[in-house]
Formats: sequence, C-alpha cells, structure tokens
Amino acid sequence: MKIIIVGAGEVGYNIASRLASENKRVIVIDKNQAAAQRISEDLDIQVVTASGSNPQVLIDAGIKDADILLAVTDSDETNLVACLITDLISPTTKKLARLREQGFYPYHDRLKKENPHIDTVINPKIEVVNAIRELMDVPGAIEVGDFVDGQVKYIGIRIDTHSPVAGMKLFDFPSKFGENRPLIAAIIRNNEIIVPRGNNKVMAGDLIYFVCETDKLDEMLNLFGKKTLPIQSALIIGGGRIGERLAKILEKDKIKTKIIESDIDRCHYLAEQLDKTIILHGDGSDQRLFFEENANLTDVVVSVTNDDETNILVSLLAKNMGVKDTITRIGKSNYFPLLSTIGIEKVVSPRLSAVSSILQDIRKGKILSDISIFGERGEFIEAIALETSDITNKPLKKLSFPKGAILVCIIRNEHIMIPTGDSIIKPGDRIILFSVKQAVKKLEKLLTVKLEFF
Amino acid sequence: MRWKFIANIIGILLIFLGLSMFAPLIVSLHYHDLARDSFIYSMAITIASGLILVVLSKNWGSDDYINQKEGMTTVALAWTAIGLFGALPFYFSPEFTNFTDAFFESVSGFTTTGSSVMTNIEGATKSLLFWRSFIQWLGGMGIIVLSLAILPFLGVGGIQLYKAEVPSPVPDKLTPRLSDSAKILWVLYAVFTLVEIIFLLGGGMPLFEASCHAFTTMPTGGFSPKNASIAHYNSAYFDYVIVIFMVLAGINFSLHYQMLRGRTLAFWEDTECRFFLGLTLGLTLIITWNIYGSVYASLKEAFRFASFQVASIITTTGFATADYEKFPGLSQVLLFICMFIGASAGSTGGGMKCARIIACFKYCYRQLFKIIHPRSISHVKINSTVIPDEVLRSIMGFLALYIGLFILASILLAAMGIDMMTAFGAVAACIGNIGPGFGSVGPTENFAHIPVLGKWLLAWCMLAGRLEIYTVIILFVPEFWKK
Repeated sequence: MKIIIVGAGEVGYNIASRLASENKRVIVIDKNQAAAQRISEDLDIQVVTASGSNPQVLIDAGIKDADILLAVTDSDETNLVACLITDLISPTTKKLARLREQGFYPYHDRLKKENPHIDTVINPKIEVVNAIRELMDVPGAIEVGDFVDGQVKYIGIRIDTHSPVAGMKLFDFPSKFGENRPLIAAIIRNNEIIVPRGNNKVMAGDLIYFVCETDKLDEMLNLFGKKTLPIQSALIIGGGRIGERLAKILEKDKIKTKIIESDIDRCHYLAEQLDKTIILHGDGSDQRLFFEENANLTDVVVSVTNDDETNILVSLLAKNMGVKDTITRIGKSNYFPLLSTIGIEKVVSPRLSAVSSILQDIRKGKILSDISIFGERGEFIEAIALETSDITNKPLKKLSFPKGAILVCIIRNEHIMIPTGDSIIKPGDRIILFSVKQAVKKLEKLLTVKLEFF
Repeated sequence: MRWKFIANIIGILLIFLGLSMFAPLIVSLHYHDLARDSFIYSMAITIASGLILVVLSKNWGSDDYINQKEGMTTVALAWTAIGLFGALPFYFSPEFTNFTDAFFESVSGFTTTGSSVMTNIEGATKSLLFWRSFIQWLGGMGIIVLSLAILPFLGVGGIQLYKAEVPSPVPDKLTPRLSDSAKILWVLYAVFTLVEIIFLLGGGMPLFEASCHAFTTMPTGGFSPKNASIAHYNSAYFDYVIVIFMVLAGINFSLHYQMLRGRTLAFWEDTECRFFLGLTLGLTLIITWNIYGSVYASLKEAFRFASFQVASIITTTGFATADYEKFPGLSQVLLFICMFIGASAGSTGGGMKCARIIACFKYCYRQLFKIIHPRSISHVKINSTVIPDEVLRSIMGFLALYIGLFILASILLAAMGIDMMTAFGAVAACIGNIGPGFGSVGPTENFAHIPVLGKWLLAWCMLAGRLEIYTVIILFVPEFWKK
C-alpha cells in the first residue's frame, strides 16, 4: 500500500508518522527544505523536496501506482491543483484534500462529484469548531467524541471530591446503578492510564473515560455528580477563522458571545461579519480587559489564537479569575503531557482533529474508528466482530484480553449491551474496545483483523 | 459650473412639462369647461420658454461627465422652474387671484405635499382639478427620474443626478443601468396607480375622481378634488383601499420590484420596511385605543379612522377622513411625530425617512454601547450591511439640518404673526411634504390665510424637504459659489 502526502506541515507530519508506524509505504512531498529535512530525519519514509502541485514531481513520486493522495499543505490552491493533476494522471488514486478557506465550503460536494473528484475534503478548522461546540454542550467533560454514527459517545470527565462515585469500587457499580451504569473504559490517575478491573476504585481527582449512548449522556453525567446546565455566555480569545466560525455558531444558538482580538483590522472585519457578538479590541492576556468585561462571570472562555503559549496563558488566567470552564486550542502535540499537570484539561487541536478524521476516512475493513485520547496514549477502537476472529461465539470470561485492553461495550441491533463474563460476541456485532498504546498490537492480533488501510 | 448645460436640461424638462399639459387640455375639451384657453396659454409659454433655453444653450459641450455640484444645482433649479411654469394654469384660472397662491399650489403639487390654498375646491373646473392631481403624479417619482425613463438620450452620466434626486441612505441599484431602473420603477408606479383606479371604480367612485385620487395616492401627494377630501365619501371601503395604497407607496419601490421578481419575503427581510410597517401598525393600535370611546363609539370606526390618519401622515400623503385636531392629546402628538419620521427611503414619501431614523438610533445605541464596552469595535448595520461612518455622518447632518430648518422656518413664520401651533404644524407639514398641518392649517382648513411671504417660505420648505435638504441648502452656502 502506497500513500503520497503533499505537505510536510503539522498535519502531514503526524499522518505520516502514524502511517509509517503501521508499516505503510509513505512518500512525503514538500518544497520547504527545512520541513522536508525534519520529517525525513524523524520518520522512516521517503521524502521529495519539490512542489507537490507539479505533475512531473507527482509522476516521479509514483502517483500512478499510489493508492491514496493526501494533499495537506497550508495552501488550498496547492492542494486543489495536486488533486486536479492526480485526477488527470491517475484517476484511480483516492484523493483527500485539506481546504481551509470557508468560501469552498458550499462547493465541497461538487468538488467530489465533478473535477477533480476529491474523495474527501478535510477542513481542520471546521472540525475543531465542532469539537469545541461539543465540549461546550457537555460542561463537565474534558473530552467528548463520537463513534461512527454519532449514536454512541465517549466522554472524559474529572471526578470531584463530592462526586457520588468517588471512592467506589467498580464491582459495586451494578448493585448501585443497575442496568444504566456507566461503562468505564479508562481511569487516569497521576498521569498514568489504568485499564480498570472490577476491584479498581474510582477516586476523587481521577480522570475517567466512559462510553454511553448519546441520548443518555445527561443521565450519566448526573451519576458522576456533574451538573449539565447549558452554557449561556462565552468569551472567545482570538478572532481567527476558528473564533469567527465558533462565534457564528454560538450566535445561532443564542449564546451571548464576546471575542477579544488584537488586530484592529480583523476586529473591523469581525464586526462586519457578526451581528450579535461583541467584538473587543485588545490583548487576550490583558487582565484589565478581563475585569472590564466581567470575564469571570462568563460560563466558558475559549482561547483559540494561533499562538499556543498565549492560549495556555489565557486559560490559566481565566481559571485563576474563577471562570468555570476553559477550552484551549493547542497546535503542538509535545505540550499535551504537560497540560493536565498545570490544570488545563479541555484541549482541542485542529491538527489532531484533522489527523484522526483523515485516518478514519482512509481506514477500510472492519475497523470503523480508531480514536486517540489523552495525548495519543490510549486508543478507542470500534470494530465489527468477524466470524473468523477468536473473540466471537464464546463467553468473554474464556477470552484472554491483553493487559491494558478492555472490551467496553457491544452494540447489537443499535442497542448498547454491557459486557459481563457470560456475554458472547456474535459475528456482525459492533464492539468498542479501549487499549493503551502498547497493547494495540496484541489487541489487533486477537481481533485477527489488523488495523487495515486499503 | 456649466450653466449652459444646466439650462439645456431645464429647457428639455420644460418642453416635456408643456407637453404634459395636453392631458388636462383633453380633460377640459371633454368636459367643455372654461379652462381650455388657460391651458393653451400655459402650454405655449412653457414650451416656448423651454425651446428658448434649449436653443440658447446649444453647444453646451460634449463632456459627458457631470459633477455633483452641477447635479445638485440642476436638480434644485429644475424643480423651481417646474414649480414656476406649472403654476401658470393656476394663475390663468379665476380661482387664483395672485401668482403667489398659484406658485404655492404648484410647488405643493410637484413636491407631492398636498397643502392647498384653495378654499372651494369643488368650485374649480374639472381640468384644473385634474392638473392639480396630475402634477402630483408627475412629481411623485420625481420629474427627473421620470425624465430619465423617457429621456435616456440625456446620457450625461446621470448617476449624479440620481444621487441628488434620491439620496437615500442605502442606494439600491435595481439594474446596472440607471435609465433601465428608472423605467422599471416608472412602470411599477404606473401599474400601481392603475390598480388603485380599478379598485376605486369597483367601489363606485366616478372615473374622474378615482383617477384624481389614484394620481395623488401613489406619489403620497394628498390633493383631492373634494372639499372634504376622502371624508366626502364616508366609506370604509374607500378608506381601506386608500390606506393600503398609501402604505404601498410608502415602501421602497425597489422592494416592490424584488417582490414581483419572486422574493416573496422582501418586505419582511428588509429592516426599514419592517420598521415602517411595524410602526404604522403600532401607532394605529395606540391611536385606536386612544380615540375609542372618546371620539368614536365603535371599535371598528376607531380603527378605521386611526389607520387612515396614521397611514396618511406617516406616508406623508395628507388625505383626511377625520379632523385629528379633535383627537385626544396623545394621538395628536403621535401624528405630529409621524410628520417627522416619514416613509421609507426609495418610496415616494417624504419626511426624514425610516432608514435614517433607524440609522440614527443604531448610531446612538453604538455610542452608549461604547461607553459600556470601551474597547469594543462595532458597526452600524442595516440589513446586515455595514453603514460606513461617512454615510452615518451625512445622515446625522441631515437630521440636524432638518430640525434646524424646521426651527428656523417656524420662527420666521411666527414672526409673521402666526400662532405657535400653526407655525409648527405648517412648517412640519411642508418640509415633510405631508399636506395638512396643525392649528389653523389643520385637515379641515387650508393655507389660504398665510401671508404672502409665509407662502413663499413654505413653498421653499417643500422644495427643500422634497430634495432631501442638502440639495437646496447647499445653494445657500457661500463656499458653493466660490470659484
């Protein structure tokens, strides 16, 4: 399997790294010498230093027998041209393009159906805005995400001292909550992932990940002692594309929104574009402005400037002032391990969103989704159970799951089933598993379906 | 300033004005009334003057570009000239004893004001009454716009003329070519008039009166061939038909066009139109409540008369079905305020225009908002479009000038020995191009008793109001005349 990636930026780099670790043939094209250098030093892949929109370069890179072309440079134009050229030279190659400009949005469908037949259009900013919106809807949650059809969600929450489950052992859950008990996939304590067994305790201060049906979300959050009052006001720091799009969505949902933006021209632009949002000109980390605008009374502060450090600083500042909830945009993945130690937990990353949506899209076979959580240290895997695999048609207690992996739930006929020792997975069931990174390989073996890309 | 060029345009306009006198002449011949000769004389004088101007201004140059200064001067002078020559048929008829009255009546007609100096309207010849209504119709969309529809051969980069003619805060270009959009509006205007005539005929109004009323409804004029105006008929059907057409005339004509082109929600989507319709309805309800019981015994009657007076005043038409001076104080104050608000920009109505009022309030709100959020950046928007600060300043300037003119003219009128209420009412009614005012120029009285100087002042106010103040005031700024 051969994949050509045009663009060695953050998105290109991360996809290449994921694919390379799964032993795919990856060729990265980037005309930026430094970016090309970095990626070729770090990863076991082939690198071409040239323009990815140049037909000859694509032919030389072997576009004719490539299975997938990923056009993920920062330039929409380059990405479009790369897809167009590929469509001419090698129509059978699957094409994914990253298009950031909002103006393309209405044409996504036509770009798929007509020239250049882009199979999937990825817009990281749109995805990150959706992620932020979802986090806002579940105020207690640190991380929220969907499995394949949106019917089932995974949620990460921090257990408070006064939470009813604090101090409870997991095997007490069935007697206390009965059928509707939460399906806990992972407990994170002291920066370590614990894949829970029955005798594990839930402690105050733990970050736990659980899975539940979307329409039972509120109920579940209540079990953990999380109030789910809908937010009424938001303060956005950074009026870039993400901030603008988010504000538009919030306006529609009648949430009082303010944006702080430091560039005056951008402020004027935003004031033209947005009707109800209050546009403030100033620095995101300016405390006086925060007091002037009563930022401490805002339900949520979202920092989405292009600068990670500013975002982190703003979130800390907001927390310090007593803002209940902060959402922070982070671009660089190497910050992730640090963040929870300084108390920044709700983090979104356009890059990661893009990477996971790209991976999800090009994944084929029986793995439906593969979602990294907690800074890529654990993975949710959603798969269809195959008849040929070892896991079907025998009670779970007879299966030996690898250490660090757990079967979270079985979805049969659109209904979530809580696995017990006597449960039997039938062929065709959808199963959701959780695994720490180290155990993914062993889990794949058990499923006898590798994490296949076509 | 290229005077020859201006004279040329005015000459052409006068020729057309003269030709338009054929219409009342035909009416005169049809009814065999005594006004035939006066129209023939007027026509001869007007056309001859026009021809002389055109001949004298021959070779005015072929420079297509016309600057704003020339555009404004042309508009102001053209309206004055038309007012003067349009007064001739009045001057030649026995009802008018002096030229001042004739000029006042004529300007009141062409500016679609509707203030009258005639005490016995029904005593006048039918052809003169027809002329009186007809000049309002001509004035309605602006003789200039009309001429642009008929005279595209003017071809002098007419955009400046249009700017001076209809300086609405938000210029709505219907089609790229000015003469095309003028034609569209003109056809629309004519069709509305025709429909109204049909509706009035359907209710049993004689053709002559139906035409006269339709001719003065669509331009929001307000002249009626009856002494008692619409009250003469005392018919709920006529009242409501006219209310509907007055309101339609008070809506931006480009919205009518958009609606006919299939944008069914055009009225609702437009901020100004929503404001205008909402205000009309709201005031109607308040006044209904206010006069129900105190003036009218039945709720139906109260609503009928309230809606008519509100529509008549806010669209600056000026028809009357009731003496609003007998209404309680609240209703009178509200109607007086309506005189200032006026109809929509881009309609035939006068006044300050709703769009300007909206912009003004939004601007004030923005100033307050800025105090609460000192570092906020915000724009004034109408229909989600940003109003540039320059336009806002021009609107604020307009409102200030409007009020200033109102104060100055009221003082001058009072200095001529007119009582306060009449002075305020007459000036407000004339600047706003409404018609009837308050005091001794109320809906049941007329302007005949105003002193000669006062009539010239009020006629000038009508012109200033009709031409959106700036166009007329600027001629009085010394800087304008400096080379």
